[in-house]
Amino acid sequence: MHIVVCVKAVPSSTEVKMDPVTHTIVRDGRESVVNPFDAAALEVALAIKDERAATGEGCRVSVLSMGIPATEALLRDGIARGASDALLLSDRAFAGADTLATSYALSCGIRELGSASMSDVAASGAPEHEEATPGPSLPDLILCGKMAVDGDTAQIGPELAGLFDMPCVTDMRELVAIERGRVTVRHATDAGIELVEVPLPAVLTVAKDIAQPRMPSIAGVRAAAGAPVAVLSAARVQADPARSGLAGSPTQVVRSFVPERSDACEVLEGSVPQQAARIIALAEEAGL
Amino acid sequence: MAATSFGPTPTIPAIIKFSSEYDEYRGDESRSRGTAESLSFPRTEDEVRAIVRSLSSARTPITVQGARTGLAAGAVPQGGHVLNLSHMNRPLGLREGNGRFYLRVQPGLVLSELRKYLAAKAFPTEDWDEASLTAAQRLAEAPEQMFPTDPTETSACLGGMAACNASGARSFRYGAMRGHVTALRLVLANGDVVALRRDEVRARGRHLMLKTEGGSTIEADLPTYQMPRAKNASGYYVEDDMDALDLIIGSDGTLGIITELELALMPAPAVVWAASCFFATEDQAVEATIAARADLKHAAALEYFDPAALDVLRRARAQGSAFAALPLLPERFGCCLYVELQAPVEDEAMADLERLGAIVRAAGGSERDSWVARTAVDRETLRFFRHAVPESVNMLIDERRREEPSITKLGSDMSVPDDRLRDVISLYRSTLAEEGLESAAWGHIGNNHLHVNVLPRNAEEYARGKALFARWAKDVAAMGGAVSAEHGVGKLKRDFLTTMYGSEHVREMARLKLAFDPACQLGRGNLFDAALLDEVRREGAAVPEGADAADAGPDAADAGPDASGTGPDAADAGPDTSSADLDAAASPDAAPVPSAAAPADALAKAMNTGEVS
Repeated sequence: MHIVVCVKAVPSSTEVKMDPVTHTIVRDGRESVVNPFDAAALEVALAIKDERAATGEGCRVSVLSMGIPATEALLRDGIARGASDALLLSDRAFAGADTLATSYALSCGIRELGSASMSDVAASGAPEHEEATPGPSLPDLILCGKMAVDGDTAQIGPELAGLFDMPCVTDMRELVAIERGRVTVRHATDAGIELVEVPLPAVLTVAKDIAQPRMPSIAGVRAAAGAPVAVLSAARVQADPARSGLAGSPTQVVRSFVPERSDACEVLEGSVPQQAARIIALAEEAGL
Repeated sequence: MAATSFGPTPTIPAIIKFSSEYDEYRGDESRSRGTAESLSFPRTEDEVRAIVRSLSSARTPITVQGARTGLAAGAVPQGGHVLNLSHMNRPLGLREGNGRFYLRVQPGLVLSELRKYLAAKAFPTEDWDEASLTAAQRLAEAPEQMFPTDPTETSACLGGMAACNASGARSFRYGAMRGHVTALRLVLANGDVVALRRDEVRARGRHLMLKTEGGSTIEADLPTYQMPRAKNASGYYVEDDMDALDLIIGSDGTLGIITELELALMPAPAVVWAASCFFATEDQAVEATIAARADLKHAAALEYFDPAALDVLRRARAQGSAFAALPLLPERFGCCLYVELQAPVEDEAMADLERLGAIVRAAGGSERDSWVARTAVDRETLRFFRHAVPESVNMLIDERRREEPSITKLGSDMSVPDDRLRDVISLYRSTLAEEGLESAAWGHIGNNHLHVNVLPRNAEEYARGKALFARWAKDVAAMGGAVSAEHGVGKLKRDFLTTMYGSEHVREMARLKLAFDPACQLGRGNLFDAALLDEVRREGAAVPEGADAADAGPDAADAGPDASGTGPDAADAGPDTSSADLDAAASPDAAPVPSAAAPADALAKAMNTGEVS
């Protein structure tokens, strides 16, 4: 079995600053972390791997991201926690991607992970504490976090499913079973929790609290230090420039801004009619 | 909280009559309770001086409080006045020297606030002078700074931390609080002030002479004992030719009132990694500790959690409490050695982690049975784990107290020299087994300093646990260890002080206290019982001129309960002063504060000749 887990580096702080001129997030060197939803997805994958290892079955867990070169450290950390291999797509050609261009880039990476060369890397460079098995051209499962804490779009998983024409289950709360080429999960819907079964390969997006991400062990950290993390360019994964980065992003950001907050408080005084009149005046001033 | 203010001028701080509204100020984290007749919340040193002066003529006992997070009942009053410094919580200024930054703070500033200021590199600077503002600008451009003393309780205040020479996990690398204070100001019981800066005032051998800002002299012989070769917060710190500043730190509020501290900051480490290494047996963890102490280059903390402690946590986690968010603790995880690494670069941290892996293997453990935290999220998980252990034990005790209200957790705070670690653990295990007492232990194994907690089920076990602690104190002292390594002696452990040093050395300490506080007003019940101080004071010629007025001193508190001896509810028999309004005539201790311009001259004179030896 081959599982690909898509992860995103997000700022570790919730106090995100916006550049007032460029309207982009200020990356001021604060520590980046794996999006917590994606960390939960990795834990789900590693639990599947553990379960299969207990019955003597192989399972390769690949961690995939698109990001700046520093994201490699987060992918290596995924290997320390138990992933088999990792691929980082890093290229200026990917810059400015919206979710459609991002999912396209990730789909290129997923195909690359299924290629013979990447499978070989995974098999040869796998940490000594695990066994890797070469995967087919497409993975059996693609796991994503339900959403990223910095963008909140929740679109990557469904878009990947669309690109690969795979079934997609979002907001998974429990993995019930994987057997006979099908996966059964419970996921949240507006109407409540739904039990569904879909054929593999499939895309699943997971809720943050579905699993407590495991900590890496000393053995894992040591093994990950020497494990290969492929860092590939857009050309190397044969990404179509027209579908990559800004060029491949139909989303047009007109303006982004931090809402102004005010804790100014006006205490209304006078008679009830006077106060009511003041409320009307205030509403009109506010353009309501 | 509305303070009832009274007094002839607005510059005089309020002294509040004690009422049920202030009940929380009768106790601290030790769960001991005391009594008081009045309390105050000064905001400045001048207000402290004015309050102290107003109390000196009646020799009113004064118990200094900070954040009341102490575990030795040092802040629990025994009658008299509670001087609560929690409103003195401002950073006062900053200076730069020798490539380091030094922050002046009021004593009530809590550690968590200090950390926030340092992390943001932003301080409330309204009252700072130009030099401090310039230094603050320099700090803003400098690498992130930290204050290294790290008691687990971050709501502790810095004055309290200095009073008990706090340490915590990272003292393995950085030592205790004493080494990170470079100056302080101390208000004496008569309202005079001693200002001390490191390297400026030293003892000659064991003789100390201090000048006060009021022009008086305090002269005293220092106790003659040798300090243990172990982490220590037991009684006065003394050594030949010592820095006077070091005597005040760890003096448990018995010599004066710390009104200002200067803290030496240092650059925060660039890389902080941590690893919880799990072992099947305690012996393996101890051997790994001894090896880690020798081999690791960047260890900042070596902490231990014993099998019983992990079991309590495992049960709490299984019950679906808040601890359910913790990673699963498999049964094979018998006990845990937590190692924190602080290194300048990742490569060096990695090299130490590899060394740690070898240590774990050599001790018979597995590198796979470990949790490594290299990210903020993982560090938070390990922090949660470390805090969850004592929390879960406290929850267990609270549960038992519902059945048997007289019991409480009994926690030890003893340390031994490095070469006695195996011996002391063997002592704990054999004696606990002999007594058949349930326990859970954790703490600073790198400093051979474990908090062994007896978990009594009933009053009889509680009594046996207390007796066992007395036995441990004796045996630990015989090993060259300390009866209190970081919590201070306060009121709860003062009997152990005699066990550790012997009665004659405790009398030497009492004489030293009397040189600073002739009327025995400060920290009543801390380190010494009233009878001992009375006795020492009456020792013939040792009584200084002018201090005779203090003879009546302890009486005011004699009727008060001894917070150390009668359990957590000892003070329940105390007076209920529920009246919200303060009647100046209601209590001599609650009398209006005299003008700050009218110091107690008599006592000032006494201080001038305060030598007692």
